[in-house]
Amino acid sequence: MANKRYAMVIDMRRCIGCHACTVACKAEMAVPLEVNATWLKIIEKGTYPDTRRYYLPRMCNNCTDAICARNCPTKATYKRDDGIVMVDQHRCIGCKYCIASCPYDTRYVNPLKNIVQKCYFCSHRVDAGLQPACVETCPTKAMIFGDKNDTKSEVAQVLATNATVVLKKEMQTNPQVFYISADETVMSNVEKDINYRTEGTLIKIRI
Amino acid sequence: MENGDVNVIYSVQHQLPLVMYIGQYFFFTGLSAGSFVISVIATLLGRKEFKPIGKITAILAPALLIIAPINLIADLEQPLRFWHLFLYYNWTSPITYGSFLLTAYPIMGIIYAIMVYTDRQKAAKVLGILGIPLAISVHGYTGFILALAKARALWNTAAMPTIFLVSAMVSGIGLVVIIAAVRWKWFDKKATPETRDQDKKLILQLATFMAYIIMLDLFLILSDILVLLTAHSDAYEAGMLILTGNFAPLFVGVEIILGSIIPMILVLGPTRKNMTAIVVASILVNIGVYAMRFVMVIGGQTIPLS
Ligand code: SF4
Ligand code: SF4
Repeated sequence: MANKRYAMVIDMRRCIGCHACTVACKAEMAVPLEVNATWLKIIEKGTYPDTRRYYLPRMCNNCTDAICARNCPTKATYKRDDGIVMVDQHRCIGCKYCIASCPYDTRYVNPLKNIVQKCYFCSHRVDAGLQPACVETCPTKAMIFGDKNDTKSEVAQVLATNATVVLKKEMQTNPQVFYISADETVMSNVEKDINYRTEGTLIKIRI
Repeated sequence: MENGDVNVIYSVQHQLPLVMYIGQYFFFTGLSAGSFVISVIATLLGRKEFKPIGKITAILAPALLIIAPINLIADLEQPLRFWHLFLYYNWTSPITYGSFLLTAYPIMGIIYAIMVYTDRQKAAKVLGILGIPLAISVHGYTGFILALAKARALWNTAAMPTIFLVSAMVSGIGLVVIIAAVRWKWFDKKATPETRDQDKKLILQLATFMAYIIMLDLFLILSDILVLLTAHSDAYEAGMLILTGNFAPLFVGVEIILGSIIPMILVLGPTRKNMTAIVVASILVNIGVYAMRFVMVIGGQTIPLS
């Protein structure tokens, strides 16, 4: 049998933007304040009263061709056989080159431990036969996780029978988080026009 | 836009991973590589009047390259683990080749300097020729560090290593001119008027050489920007960020006008025989190159990715 290959599908028809995945991740992975391994992006399109909100849960895509692992000078970032991209907490020197290289902004320096962390698809839970914390928590079952090489798994069947997209396909990283029915604008970097990092606000923007 | 209003209701902030330590490191390795190349050129030409310059630069190159990696280590979140770089190398990472180059180059620079000072011309020439590819790679790889971090549109261009090399030459020559001029003004009094004249001529020649390299630099920057502005949307955004956005004062104002065009006029224009003007030009050039490092490293990361 082929290797395991863990993947996640997030069905945006079901997502209600409740932030439960963010909270579950924060608790499970002890993610400090100011940083996030999983988070939600929400935009609103249209002019009142004709508006609609679009959500996008975000996390590390555990890419098959992960640029972060390729660029890590110490192999602290490495890929497991089942595809999960890990960071060895004892080997990472904190050069942050992986953060600069990741096209998805999913990595952070843990301000308490001074090493780089990200989402590992809850590898410790997966190894124990459980689902990732976010998947388990999601009240609408919008997140589906499993081994996509196992044709009987739910994730493989959902992938086979639905139109899915990934973030920034052009980056050649081969992301393993797939979205169903995600809005194109919320998937793009709509914040591009404003320099929110230096101004420190999340803001209204022009596009 | 055609879609009507779009508001971001909620998103999170992300860290700015690489700070100015990295830019400073790029600046110092650039100075070092530039002065090494000048030193080797002086040694190879072997003329007596080039000796002083060859000597100053031979010391400068390794000295600057010992300062440079201090910035790198200071930037690490776990500075005491820096030795992991050598023990757990990863050949697909440009930082790995960098860490070996950064070890080899100062050692070879020090041996070269000893040869130059003890006047062993033959050995100095051979080492110099061997050292140039090393000097070029030690600075060129810094360009690759940025170019291979493919997430950032401003960095991800094949021109990046060349731009870094050329601007390194510019700042390196600038530094050499400043030091040579200081020596000429205050520490060269005992020399005969002829040698002083010769030294002055040499400094002026160096400055002219610098102006030509600035032209090359400007050409590279122009081509980079033209491509950025016509490429995909992130690249366009990166181009606009440095042309009209938050980084425009630093890029257009300091890097292009203050750091390239004004020095070029000072060096090639009517003030071309004036030592003070030449020194001012060299200082401006270094400020410009420092600003360039800032714009590249910090500016490149300010375009949101998600
Ligand atoms: S999303 Fe970023 S951090 Fe995660 S595997 Fe892909 S490149 Fe690496
Ligand atoms: S910060 Fe750590 S995980 Fe990231 S590239 Fe550097 S050593 Fe690797």
